[in-house]
Amino acid sequence: MRARTVQVDALVIGGGVVGCAVLRELSRFQATVALLERQPDICDVTSKANSAIVHTGFDAPPGSVEAGLLARARDLWPGVIEELRIPYLQTGAVMVAAGRQEMEAIRQEIVPKAERNGVTLSELTADEIMENLPAVTPEVVGGVLVEGEGVIDPFWTTRAYAENAVRNGAQVYLEHGVTGISVHADGVTVETAPGTIFQARIVVNAAGLWSDEVARLAGDNSFRITPRKGQFIITEDDLGIGQIVLPVPSKISKGILVTPIVFGGTMLGPTAEEVTDKTDLSTTAEGLRRIRQGVAKLVPDAAGASTIRQFAGLRAVSSTGDYIVGPSPTGRRLITVAGIRSTGLSVSPALGRHVAELVRDELNLAARGDFDPTLPELLAEAREDEGDVICLCRAITRGEILEALRSPLPPATLDGLKRRTGAMLGDCQGNICMPRLIELLRRELGRDPLTLPKNVRGSSPVVSPVRAPASSGRER
Amino acid sequence: MTDIYDLAIVGAGLSALSFLRARGPVGLTAVIDYQDRAGGFLRPALPDPALPDASELVASFQLPAGVETLFASTAVGLLPSAGTPPHTVLVRDRAGTRHVRAARVLIASGGLEITREHDQIPGPRPAGVVTPIFVHQLLDRGWLPGSRAVVYGSSRYAAATKERLATAGTEATLVPSEEDGSSGGADVVEVRGFPRVQEVVLRRDGAESMLPADLLVYARGMVANTLWLKGSGVELDDRGAVVMDERYQTNIPRVHAIGTVVAPDLDHSRSIAMGEDLARLWEAGP
Repeated sequence: MRARTVQVDALVIGGGVVGCAVLRELSRFQATVALLERQPDICDVTSKANSAIVHTGFDAPPGSVEAGLLARARDLWPGVIEELRIPYLQTGAVMVAAGRQEMEAIRQEIVPKAERNGVTLSELTADEIMENLPAVTPEVVGGVLVEGEGVIDPFWTTRAYAENAVRNGAQVYLEHGVTGISVHADGVTVETAPGTIFQARIVVNAAGLWSDEVARLAGDNSFRITPRKGQFIITEDDLGIGQIVLPVPSKISKGILVTPIVFGGTMLGPTAEEVTDKTDLSTTAEGLRRIRQGVAKLVPDAAGASTIRQFAGLRAVSSTGDYIVGPSPTGRRLITVAGIRSTGLSVSPALGRHVAELVRDELNLAARGDFDPTLPELLAEAREDEGDVICLCRAITRGEILEALRSPLPPATLDGLKRRTGAMLGDCQGNICMPRLIELLRRELGRDPLTLPKNVRGSSPVVSPVRAPASSGRER
Repeated sequence: MTDIYDLAIVGAGLSALSFLRARGPVGLTAVIDYQDRAGGFLRPALPDPALPDASELVASFQLPAGVETLFASTAVGLLPSAGTPPHTVLVRDRAGTRHVRAARVLIASGGLEITREHDQIPGPRPAGVVTPIFVHQLLDRGWLPGSRAVVYGSSRYAAATKERLATAGTEATLVPSEEDGSSGGADVVEVRGFPRVQEVVLRRDGAESMLPADLLVYARGMVANTLWLKGSGVELDDRGAVVMDERYQTNIPRVHAIGTVVAPDLDHSRSIAMGEDLARLWEAGP
């Protein structure tokens, strides 16, 4: 039997925020474009578990690829947020100095570095900080405001890039892990786990944590990706923190922050732990303790805050120390986009644009006349008879759920539905509404509850139909 | 639909039902509930021999004349009137958002279960770490949430959940969460396994042990369901429970509260008693 073959002009490997941003930008051209994602849904690895901040890049290494692209992203974000209707709050970030030495570090290192990156910071007195952020530590001696920093919905961003691309003709292939790649002079052949073979004129490797292994399949051993774990604690206590509060950073990390969440609550974290397992998203007692310790120095009340959720994400750190963006050593038709570390969300508009330009120049692509950069407004009008609440904690209605299920890129997992609608994100963590949602997915999309995953394969909340006992001790 | 009710009860769980059974309507009375039937989140676990009073209440409950039920209707906000009544309860139902106006509001919105996340239990986030309400709703739909369960909790509700799982075909072990006199309670200190839970790590008297399971039912207790009261001005304590006096009066005139929403660690029998107590207080009128 011959394997199915799909011909495309441009193929993106990886359905994270970077891959989806690239896909959207590629869909502006007169070309057939597609994306392969190994997991059952997009946005399921690093893009789902991060601090959800749009960074200005004020503290990026000046002169790096990262700093250059973050600068370009600053100009692109307002347009992207408007076109894709992404929930965003330009809160600004306040770096808090808890002593004279830290204040000196801000003046001597942070401010000049930001200037080199084209970001102007404004110094704040302790009184000015306390006025806006009364919960900040009384130890504060001053600080600096990064006005352009904001918080965004990272799930929405990734889904919206992909959905916008799909509305403009792109294809998304889920559960299509890549098993083989061969690069030729005029194209790339990509084999996938389901057996489908993709013949692409050009391929973009945006496989995040796994981009080194994807590169290796093509014979490129030039870089290595190691995971750096970041753990977070989410609280819904009212801490009175309306801006991102960050400490004076250390050598390896921005440190542990207190960050408002655009859809409610506050995020504490992250840790920065060098780990080896790219699949281990466990939180640890030690990591969670360190977060509490870290925030105690910034916002003392946050140390004892109640929590509705903790999670861990893995940053994709490259062995070169910077982003790797450009043609692979194996040939011009394989473009590497790797080592995006912790700024993938922030850089996504510019990185998507930049990579699409590389593709355009290589293939001589022309812009389409009919590209629509916008997404329709969600629930512009509440539909008749769909106004009842399904997710009790977040007051998410049946109409909002059904709208997600009826979109051109419907969620393929329960976590995907959570990321698209906000259902199951609240205090009960989905225990109240998940059975109803499983039922809705069965009815609307014909999904069998027995195989419907929470996220990855084998994560179904249902293990079997009820085995009716021969004689029940109780009446039902 | 445009009437002003004399009383709007938010929640049709045990405390509201016991109040209504003992008192009957208070003028024109509305009962609002997220679910499409009365009985609260405990309802799917009933009848259960370990919960005789709740089983009896739900089985025998008849809606008194003069009480209107607004089911599949969720209170999402409370706008107390500044001066003279009525108060307004914002309710979402199939048709959209409606304003239910009432001279008095009785908050009986119960609780949400404490999850593994509330207790900050480390480990991965696999399928199969749930609370009893999830288990009961899944079983109601004919689906089994696991083959080998650890049910963690000391309440009669935890025991009833374990029994129901066993009846449905799950091998279930009950692990008490705290001292109950006869046996030492355990702490869950870690969850292991991915994509499905495989092991639950317990600590009892300083010693750790491990139980294999593909389902952890976390039944350690409740927190008050008061998110919908955010911004209403109703006073909450530091655990988020509604603060009320001995006459079940909150800090806002003509807004009252009973049941789990005022005391999240309440046993369901005391919730029933609280409804009866308020009915007695209001015998001649509120």
